[in-house]
Amino acid sequence: MDFSYIDAIHAALNDSLRDDDRVFLYGQDIGKFGGAFKATKGLQDLYPGRVLDAPISEDAMAGVAMGAALEGMRPVLEMQFADFSTIALNQIVNHAATHFYRTGVPVPMTVRLPSGGTPGSGPFHSQSLEAIYASFPGLVVVTPATVADAYQMLVESIQLEDPVIFCEHKFLYRWLKSSTLQGDGLPIGKARITRAGKHATVVTYSAMVHEAVRAAEMLYDEGGWEIEVVDLRSIKPIDTDTVIASVARTGRLLAVGEAFPWGGVTAEIVSRVAADAFHLLDAPPARLNARDTPIPYHPKLWADHRPTPQTIAASLRNLLKY
Amino acid sequence: MPSVPILMPQLGESIAEATILRLEIAPGDRVETDHEVIEVETNKATMGVTTLCCGEVIEILAKEGETYPVGSVLALLEVDEAEIKRTGVSTVEEHMAEEGDDQPAGSDAEEENLHFKVDDDAYREPKVIEPNVKGLPVPAGRAGAHYISPRMRARMNDLGLQAADISAIVGSGAGGRVTVEDLEKFLDYIDTWPRSNASPMRMGVADSMRRSWTRPLASVGHPLVMDKLLHHRKSLASKPGPTLYVLRAFAIAIAENPAVAGYLIGDKIVHPRAIDIGVAVQVEDGVLVPILRSLDTKKLADLAAEYADLVKQARNRRLADEATRGGIATVTNFGTFGLTWGTPIPLPNETLILGLSAGVKKPVWSEDVQAFVPVTEAELALTFDHRVVDGGGAGMLLNRVVQLLQRPEDL
Amino acid sequence: MIPLVPVTREDRIDRNDLSGVREDLPRIYLAMLRARVLEDKLSSLYKAGKIVGGVYLGRGHEAVSGSLASYLHRGIDIFAPLIRDQAGRTAFGESLMDVTRTYLGSVEGPMKGRDGNIHRGRPQEGMPAMISHLGSSVALVAGMLMARRMQGRLEGVVGATSLGDGATSTGAFHEGLNTAAVEKLPMVVLVVNNQFAYSTGNDRQFACADLVDRARGYGVAGHKVQGNDLIAVAETMKKAVSAARDGGGPQLVVADLLRLCGHGEHDDASYVPAEMRASGLARDCMQVAEGQLIDAGVFSRSQLDEMRAQAVAEVQSAVAQTQQESAPHPHHDDWRTMYHGELEE
Repeated sequence: MDFSYIDAIHAALNDSLRDDDRVFLYGQDIGKFGGAFKATKGLQDLYPGRVLDAPISEDAMAGVAMGAALEGMRPVLEMQFADFSTIALNQIVNHAATHFYRTGVPVPMTVRLPSGGTPGSGPFHSQSLEAIYASFPGLVVVTPATVADAYQMLVESIQLEDPVIFCEHKFLYRWLKSSTLQGDGLPIGKARITRAGKHATVVTYSAMVHEAVRAAEMLYDEGGWEIEVVDLRSIKPIDTDTVIASVARTGRLLAVGEAFPWGGVTAEIVSRVAADAFHLLDAPPARLNARDTPIPYHPKLWADHRPTPQTIAASLRNLLKY
Repeated sequence: MPSVPILMPQLGESIAEATILRLEIAPGDRVETDHEVIEVETNKATMGVTTLCCGEVIEILAKEGETYPVGSVLALLEVDEAEIKRTGVSTVEEHMAEEGDDQPAGSDAEEENLHFKVDDDAYREPKVIEPNVKGLPVPAGRAGAHYISPRMRARMNDLGLQAADISAIVGSGAGGRVTVEDLEKFLDYIDTWPRSNASPMRMGVADSMRRSWTRPLASVGHPLVMDKLLHHRKSLASKPGPTLYVLRAFAIAIAENPAVAGYLIGDKIVHPRAIDIGVAVQVEDGVLVPILRSLDTKKLADLAAEYADLVKQARNRRLADEATRGGIATVTNFGTFGLTWGTPIPLPNETLILGLSAGVKKPVWSEDVQAFVPVTEAELALTFDHRVVDGGGAGMLLNRVVQLLQRPEDL
Repeated sequence: MIPLVPVTREDRIDRNDLSGVREDLPRIYLAMLRARVLEDKLSSLYKAGKIVGGVYLGRGHEAVSGSLASYLHRGIDIFAPLIRDQAGRTAFGESLMDVTRTYLGSVEGPMKGRDGNIHRGRPQEGMPAMISHLGSSVALVAGMLMARRMQGRLEGVVGATSLGDGATSTGAFHEGLNTAAVEKLPMVVLVVNNQFAYSTGNDRQFACADLVDRARGYGVAGHKVQGNDLIAVAETMKKAVSAARDGGGPQLVVADLLRLCGHGEHDDASYVPAEMRASGLARDCMQVAEGQLIDAGVFSRSQLDEMRAQAVAEVQSAVAQTQQESAPHPHHDDWRTMYHGELEE
C-alpha cells in the first residue's frame, strides 16, 4: 500500500497521540471535520478530549499551546494555512521562542504550517514562511520533502523540548507517495544528498527538492551533466557542513527556494558558502526563488511565479558555462 | 571615611545626558537614604536624582544650568563603613573600577587586549568542516601573494591577460596581491609607450612558452667534436645537415630508454608511443616544429628528403597541422644563427629539447701525434623537465648522443 | 510622581461590615506595603544611576494587584502578572531577591541578566515571565489551564492575569479572552483602568462606556470596582476568584484608579490633567487602606509604622546583598537559546 505525504502527517499525529499522553492537537476545524486537509481525520474519535477545535484566533492558539507546553503537555498546533500563522507571529517568536533563553524553561510545542503553493490558491493560501521563523532565535524550523521525512520528522519534532515550526508542503500532500513511512533515520539538523553528482550542487528543501531532481534529470539527458541535489530537511539548523562538502565536490552552487526572493533560505545558503567555502567555487554562487510579487491566483501565472524544472535547469546551465 | 559618588542616572532608554535644574544640597549637608537631592531635566521629563545612603556632602561637582552625560559624578558624599555595608553602595574607587569593566578602551592595558586574552573557557574551537570529496581535487590554500581574486580574474579575462602578463606589476593588495586598481594603473602607464600588435604566430609561441615555463626546467651541456660527422656528410649524395645527424642520434638514445622522454601528469608518467621528434624551424615572427616520425627506425640516408620537405613546408608556412602534432622531443639548431651557447625551452607537451650550437675551430691536443690538432667543436645543450629527469639521467642521455655522433656511419 | 490627594475623614470608606475579608486584610496589606517600599527603592536606585533600562512601578495598583494574588495559592494556582503587579507578585510569593537581582542585573537572578526589570517570572511555579507585548498572557494562562484540564488536575485551580486599559485594545486580549470563554476556564482577567496607556488617555483608547461592558460580549462574568478602595477591592477579588474556582468560568474584573507615577521612572506624567490629579481616582490606595485598617481595628498606627520599618530594612538588605553579586559575563554566559544545544546554529 502506498502512503501519501498527508498520510504520513496523519500517521505521525496518530502515533504521537497513541504513544504519548502529553500530546494533544489544537487547531481550526481539526475535530469532527478532520482539518482542512484531513490531517486529523478520525483522530478526535480515537483520542477524545485531545483533538480540540480552536476559534479563529491564531494568536490565542499559539498562546494556548505555549501555556500548555509550560504545564507539561506536548501541543501540536495546526495552522489552517501557513499564511495565517502571521497572526500568531508574536506568540511564537516573542513569547515561545525567547522563553528558554530568558527563563531556562523549554517550550515543547509544534506548530504545523501547511505551506507552499498549489494551483489556484492565490496570495493568502500559498506562502512559504519558513525563513521568517528561522530568522528568530530559539526556534527549530523543519521542511520535510519526502513521505518518510514527513512522518519521522513530525514524530521527532513533537518529542523535542524546543518549539518547532513544522513546514509541510500542501502540493506534496497528495502528489507525493511512497511505499513506506520508514526512512533512513537521519535526525533533524542533517541534510540529505538526494541525488549524487559532480558538476553542480542544487541546495533546496521541501517541494523544490522534487523540481530540482527533475531539472537534474533534464540536464543529464541533455549533456550528461551530473547535478547533485541536497535536501536541507531542516532550515534551522542548516546543515552547512553537508552543503559545503557537496560544493567541494562540484565547485558550483545553486540555492533554490519557493519563498520570496528577498533574504531567506537561499540567501543564507549562498552567504554561508561564499563566506566559508569561497575557495571551493568555480562559479559565482547562484540562487533561484519565487518572484517578488504576491503569489498569483491563476495557474498559468502561478506556474511562472515559482521555480520550475525548466528555470532551475536554465540557472544550472548558466553555472555550468563557467 | 570613604567617598560615595552621586551619579547622573540614565533617565530613559534613549537619554544620553541631562541638565541640572536645581542643586538641593551643599557641602556640609547631611543627606538621607533615597532622598532626591538634585533636580535634572531631560528632553522628556523633569526628574530627581537620589542618594542611596546616608552621609555628608563633601563636594559638589555639578553646576546648575549645565548638562552632564549619563554616568557623570555630580557630587561626592562622605559615608561611614557601616552605612556602606548596610546599603551596598559603591565607593568612588569601586565605581571607577566598574566603569573600567564596562569600557575596555579605558586605562587597563590588559582589558584593551581582551580579544587576545586567553581566559579558561573564553573561546570555543571553531567547527571543523571535513568535506567528503572522495578523491576530487580541493584546493587547500585560500589566499597568498599569487592569489588572483575572482574580480581580478574577470578583468584579466576581459583583457585577455594571463598571470605572466601581470608579472611586471607590484601588487598593493593584501599579501602583495595585484588588485584591479593596480592593473588599471599599469595599463595607463604602458599606454604611453610605443606599441605594435603581436601576430597570431607570436601569440601562439607566447602561449606555448608560457605554459612550458610553468615547469621546473633545467639545462645541461656537452661539447661535440663534429669532424667525423662533417666528413661523413660529404660522403652522402643528399648532404644531410648536422641537425639531421643530431635528430637521429637523439632518437636512438631515447629509444634505448623511452622513460626519459616521459611526461608527468599527476602521479603518472606518460611514456612515448613512438619516437617522433620535432625540429624547430625559425619562420617569420615565430617558430614552427614539424615532426619526423619513428626516427629510431629509419636510416639517416633515407630521412634526408623527408627532412628537407618538412623544413621547406614550414618556412613557407604551408605545414599541415597534423605534421606538428604528437612529438615527444625537439631538436633546435640555434647554431645556424652563429650562437655558441643557449638554453632552449621544450614545447609544453614535451619534456626534452636538444639544442645544437655553431661549430667552432679549436686546437685539441692529440695523444696520437703528440701535438695540437684543429677540430670543429659545437655545444650540445639539453633542457629537460626536472620533475621527470635528473641531471644524471640528462647527462647519460647527452653522453649517449655524443657517443652515437662519433660513429656517423651507423646512423 | 503624581502628588497625592490627601485622604480626609470624609473620603474614608467607613464600613463596619468587612464582608468576610477581615481576616484577609493583613496579608493583602503586607503585600501592598512590601511592594510600595520595594518600588520606592527601585525608583531611588534608578534615579541614582544604578539601574539601566527602565523602572516601571505599580504605584496606585497595590490594592488591586495585591488583593487578586492574595486569593491565589502558589503551588496550585497560576498568576501571570504584567507591568504594575509588584504587589500581586509579592502576594503570590515572589522573593525580594528575584526582584532586586533582575533589576540590578545579578547573574544569580532568575533571568541571569538575559532579561530585566518586570520581565521576570518563575514559570514552573505558576508565575510566567511576561513579555512586553500586551494581552499575550491571556491565552498563555488559558493554555496552562487547558493543560491541567487534560491532565485531570484542574479541580480547584484558578488562573489569573492582570492587564491595563491599553491592553484591552489588542487582538491578543480579544482572542485570549474569547478562547478562555469558549473553553469555560477558571480564569480571572483583571483589567486595571489606570486612565493612561503610557500617555494615551481612555478617550483615545476605547469607545465603550465602561470596559466591564465587554464582559457580556465575551459571555463572561463582569465585576467592577473602585481600585483604590482596599475593602471593596478585596471583596470583589474574593468573589471573582471564588466564582472562577467554583466553575463559574472566566471572570473579568475592571478596577478604576489613577496611575500615581509615570509609565516608567523616566516619565514625569506631566500629561495627567490637574483635575484628574485632584479627583477621587488619585487617592493613594496605601493611605486609604491604612485608614481602613486602623478604623476597623485591624492594625494600629504604630503597628503600621513598625511594619513599614521592617519592610524598609528587608528591602535595604536585599539591595545591599544584590549589589555585591556578579553581573553576567559575556564569556561565561553560554548564550544558549534552546534546550537542545545540538540544534543551535
